[in-house]
Amino acid sequence: MTDAVRIDDASYETQRTAQERRKLLAPWILMLPALVIVLVFFGIPTVYMVRMSFNLHMDQRLYVPGFTFEHYVNLFSNPLFTNAILTTIKLALVASLATVVIGYAFALLVWLKPARWRLLFIGLALAPLLISEIAIIFGWWMFFPKNGLLSYGLLSAGLIHEKISLMYTEFAAFVGLVYVTLPYCFFILLSIFDGIDKRLLEASADLGASPLKTFREVMLPLTWTGILVAFSQSFIWTMGTYATPSALGPDTLWTMGFLIQEQMLGKHNWPMASALAVVLVIGVAAVMVVTRSMQSERTSFHV
Amino acid sequence: MTVSTALELRNVIRRFGTVVAVNDVSLNVSKGEFVTLLGPSGSGKTSTLRLVGGFENLDGGSILLNGQRIDHLPAYRRDTATIFQSGALFPHKTVAENVAYGLRMRNVPKDAIMKRISESLDIVRLKGFEARYPAQLSGGQKQRVALARSLAVRPAILLFDEPLSALDLSLRLQLRAEIKRLHDELKFTAIYVTHDQGEAMAMSSRVAVMNAGAIEQIDKPETVFHSPTSEFVYTFIGESCCLPVRVTSAGIEDKKGQAVGLRLGERLAEGECRIYVRPSRLRLISEAALLPNQLTARIHFIEFLGDLYRYHLKAGALELAADHAGSIGHGVGDEIEIGWRNEDMRVFR
Repeated sequence: MTDAVRIDDASYETQRTAQERRKLLAPWILMLPALVIVLVFFGIPTVYMVRMSFNLHMDQRLYVPGFTFEHYVNLFSNPLFTNAILTTIKLALVASLATVVIGYAFALLVWLKPARWRLLFIGLALAPLLISEIAIIFGWWMFFPKNGLLSYGLLSAGLIHEKISLMYTEFAAFVGLVYVTLPYCFFILLSIFDGIDKRLLEASADLGASPLKTFREVMLPLTWTGILVAFSQSFIWTMGTYATPSALGPDTLWTMGFLIQEQMLGKHNWPMASALAVVLVIGVAAVMVVTRSMQSERTSFHV
Repeated sequence: MTVSTALELRNVIRRFGTVVAVNDVSLNVSKGEFVTLLGPSGSGKTSTLRLVGGFENLDGGSILLNGQRIDHLPAYRRDTATIFQSGALFPHKTVAENVAYGLRMRNVPKDAIMKRISESLDIVRLKGFEARYPAQLSGGQKQRVALARSLAVRPAILLFDEPLSALDLSLRLQLRAEIKRLHDELKFTAIYVTHDQGEAMAMSSRVAVMNAGAIEQIDKPETVFHSPTSEFVYTFIGESCCLPVRVTSAGIEDKKGQAVGLRLGERLAEGECRIYVRPSRLRLISEAALLPNQLTARIHFIEFLGDLYRYHLKAGALELAADHAGSIGHGVGDEIEIGWRNEDMRVFR
């Protein structure tokens, strides 16, 4: 005890209300830095972008202030744009599904293996994050072409008889996307697995469930939330990313990311680029809302 | 083999790397018997249980359940049910769904499942908890649900893997009595793994004391307690004091070579040996006078244990403790006489 100061009821009351106020304020103060960053660097630019998408485009100028729905109408009527939207969704969907399946299997393996293997696997999963996306693309350029590593490897293994090139194919773009999103997916799923008592698998087997039934009855429900989160993050990433599919895919692979870049820098049509970006943001947000609603109400079982 | 044997282990061996966790264990469990595997951690009791459940692979020997070899079957094809230390209830399923799980896997019809759920929950006194989730239960309730879940499938044998060790003392005593009552009523066959000798003594038909991967002694609790066959069993079961002494032609001395005032009823062969006595069997001062074995020792300190006083005593390099109901009227530093009967003493060399 420090020196005991006699306090009267009134000062006790003021101190108590001050304490209450601090308690109410604390979460806001803790949230403030993140809130500022999100508002300043994401919120305000987004508002500008939405406004930009309604501006006019004429006379080869970047934009002319005004108000028109022209770009949106164009976006949904011009096959160039509608095809790009479909292509992007298709590619993102397939890549995200593949990422989740591969990531799930990998995370499951790491979770089940003894702890001494864990660090090695985690290091392996972290490795791609140490390299920039551009450097990774250069790597693929050495892997996929006719004189690349893949062609050489398949030939040496006797699986093919003539050199092949997978460079500039949709498959290459797909592989590239999966590679970029896999580490995030893996870590999300591993963190979910780590929250599960491994004895549950034994309990399930003990009660007569085959491994397949155990997966369906125990593992899948307990990891469902993680699967949805991993899927949405992969989907968001693959929808928006521009470099990987443009660099690895065919010239005809026009994703939304590619078109936004082209409208902005090539055609100097800022309102059109903005309209595309707005549609992209809304689409991604919609996917997030949908996956969110697919999560079970009892997301945590450790209440 | 007779029909009444439920489980038989024959020369079972389990290795982890170079460590032999289970070393040539053979064990017969009759139908309706409650056998406890008791031992310190690392003695191989849990490994033995997990071999029966099918969670570990055998490195040698065989396991038979109701006369059929089961050691080649995966866990889900064995008619065993385990109650885990953590309970291992499925957190995303309600109490009723947890209990129904094993029945659903065995394709029991729906109405029969409903009946079995209510029966099982009735047995463990958890009627009305059907719709709760495990997170909404206390530790003791969780273990009861785990028990109900295992009982519901009516397995050939129940395997308890230290189910009470995560609970606090009063709950442990209460559930221990409840498991005992259930066994008396339902006559199920069980193997119960524990490091708590109280649990082992209170519940078991037979206790198998395990040490270093092997069964040291297996017998009725009373026999194990009163007639331990080895030094390990003697020291592991119940409290004991060890008096390491050297017997010479001149008399008895401690390890430092000092003569101690120890007078034994029967002559010991010359050489080093360890004499064991239990604190509860030692008699003090006047009560010691007529007993054949006596020792003069100094009171080192006194503990008050409620019903008893525990006198910590020293005689030369020998240390021992003696329990006495009530005070003996002597304090720290006083020299007193201790005595014990021949049958309350064990000598190991």
